Amino acid sequence: MYQFINTVLIGITSGAIYSLMAIALVLVWRSTRVVNFAQAGMALLSTYIGYECIQRFHSFWLALFIAMIAGAGIAAAVDSVFMRTLFRRVSHGPIAGVAPIIATLGLLGLIRAGLGLFVGNADVSIRPPVSNIGYTISGHTLAFSPLKLVIVSSAMTLMLALSLLFSKTNIGLSLRASAFSPEIARLAGVKVDRVRTLGWAIAGAAGAAAGILQTPNGTGALSPDSLDFSLLLVFGFIAAVIGGLDSLLGAVLGGLLLGLVLAFVLTYISGSLVFITAFVLLIIVLLVRPQGIIGMNRGRRA
Amino acid sequence: MHKIKSTNFTRLLFFIVLGVGLFLLGNRVDELRVYQGATLAMYVIAISSIILLTGYSGQVSLGHGAMLAIGGYAAALAHEHLGLPIWICFSIAVLAAAAAGAVLGTAAARLSGPYLAGTTLALAVGLPSIANQFPILGGEQGLLFDVGAPPARLGADFTQYKWYFWIAALAALIAIWWLQNILRSRYGRMWRAVRGNEVAAELAGIHIGKSKTLAFTVSSGLAGLAGGVLAMTISTVSPSAFPLSLSFSLLTGAVLAGVSTLSGVIIGALTLVATPEIADAISRRLGNSENVTTNLPGLLVSALLILVVLLVPNGPVEQWRKFRARSLHEVTHR
Repeated sequence: MYQFINTVLIGITSGAIYSLMAIALVLVWRSTRVVNFAQAGMALLSTYIGYECIQRFHSFWLALFIAMIAGAGIAAAVDSVFMRTLFRRVSHGPIAGVAPIIATLGLLGLIRAGLGLFVGNADVSIRPPVSNIGYTISGHTLAFSPLKLVIVSSAMTLMLALSLLFSKTNIGLSLRASAFSPEIARLAGVKVDRVRTLGWAIAGAAGAAAGILQTPNGTGALSPDSLDFSLLLVFGFIAAVIGGLDSLLGAVLGGLLLGLVLAFVLTYISGSLVFITAFVLLIIVLLVRPQGIIGMNRGRRA
Repeated sequence: MHKIKSTNFTRLLFFIVLGVGLFLLGNRVDELRVYQGATLAMYVIAISSIILLTGYSGQVSLGHGAMLAIGGYAAALAHEHLGLPIWICFSIAVLAAAAAGAVLGTAAARLSGPYLAGTTLALAVGLPSIANQFPILGGEQGLLFDVGAPPARLGADFTQYKWYFWIAALAALIAIWWLQNILRSRYGRMWRAVRGNEVAAELAGIHIGKSKTLAFTVSSGLAGLAGGVLAMTISTVSPSAFPLSLSFSLLTGAVLAGVSTLSGVIIGALTLVATPEIADAISRRLGNSENVTTNLPGLLVSALLILVVLLVPNGPVEQWRKFRARSLHEVTHR
């Protein structure tokens, strides 16, 4: 019984992080129709900035805040400088359809190698802000610790803030309008290009938060070629696809579902099957329900 | 200018002449160059597999390194456990990767652009960790793949690397020759039609899904061959031989080659072979700090990828053709 509760709590914690990453991917996909594989690189860069802040100011919360601002700035710069140039220059030819994918992947490699060049490839560690020793309930020690509570509640708070932004504010309305139909939104007076960059910025902040929260949730170690960030990207992508790639709610649910499934596999079957399970889950969703768990029945389009 | 009509026979002749040329060249250069020649042949096969996939069928795979890994492991397993001759090992590498490609391709055919890209990326990220978990795959150390010393009748001064180079070059020549033929067959036309316009191709009676699955299968098979050759040149397969950066490099090579021009493949392969050397020269000049030596090759490859996509998206060969066509046009219309 305790093991079951443990597993659920662990699953929700890592699921919340996957959700944040999935949200970042979905936001960019909705506004630009690009799966931003560079998101892992941007998150990595922001996490390093956050790490520097922790070293200087000894405050995890300040670091999270600064990293999110930095992530937003990086993403906005990537969209307004890099992606816009790309779309202007590569509009036809056999590569036009795949150029954005290749370019974001190139950016991921560039950020990782560039970061390694400056800070080196040795592991640094992010000290968790609170204890990572599990709560004890009537003699049983749970795997759920104050740290995990902090992680899961910050992720949930951010998602709540995002959903309020999208449903209650004018900015959210123009973001949704631009994603739904850029042409009509432009006619209605929305500055679509600027809104698009804003969408990227929010995505960058969400990705940065995922990166900063993910690091102490795992081993606490951080390095430019860490597998954790590649996995974060892959799991975020799988979560986004489970949710239909087009829906923020879907991304959140997809992340939690993925987190729970992986936690159960880890606890009850074997740690070596975690990645295979995630991959099989991705293939099954793509084959059986390509529109995602809550998507409308529209079929896939690129 | 009289243009030689390209027939099956002249093309075969061309490849035979090329092979003899490579053979003579291989006898004249030093050991390092011979080793690089073998690597070059591996890159030629791997890049052409991506060109087939991206340029001819419009799909993109970010994780072809995973297909190379499957081929490499299959060849090593066949060699270690069954003791089969080297050529059969390579054939098994092709078949194993093609089978994996067929499974993935069936899913992929229903996916467009980003979905396939993400799925293949996931595979490339996860495959090394999978290899770590099954004892038969040798864990972190991997498996040995020793194709054996060159036959004694080739002479005493025939080095091991020269033998690798011969095998790799022959594999590359056969692969490219075969690929050229298939691209000129009805399958090649079918893939180009699907890439050009899916709806029109479907109306012309082409089954889109089957066409894409076939392209993915053939491409994976070629990648498997490249994996076998790679495993041979480093005489081992291990998770670290197929890092994510390998997939990045291959994609860079393909983009440099110009994804739709098979003839550019040598440019891509040469660049990939030259990059570590250039990086090495630069980092020596910068004082060999560890940060620079580890990261500079990756930095160069990624920067190159981005620059080519931005500046010459269809590859330098295509760009040159366009440039020449334009200047010819200007000359004749003056």
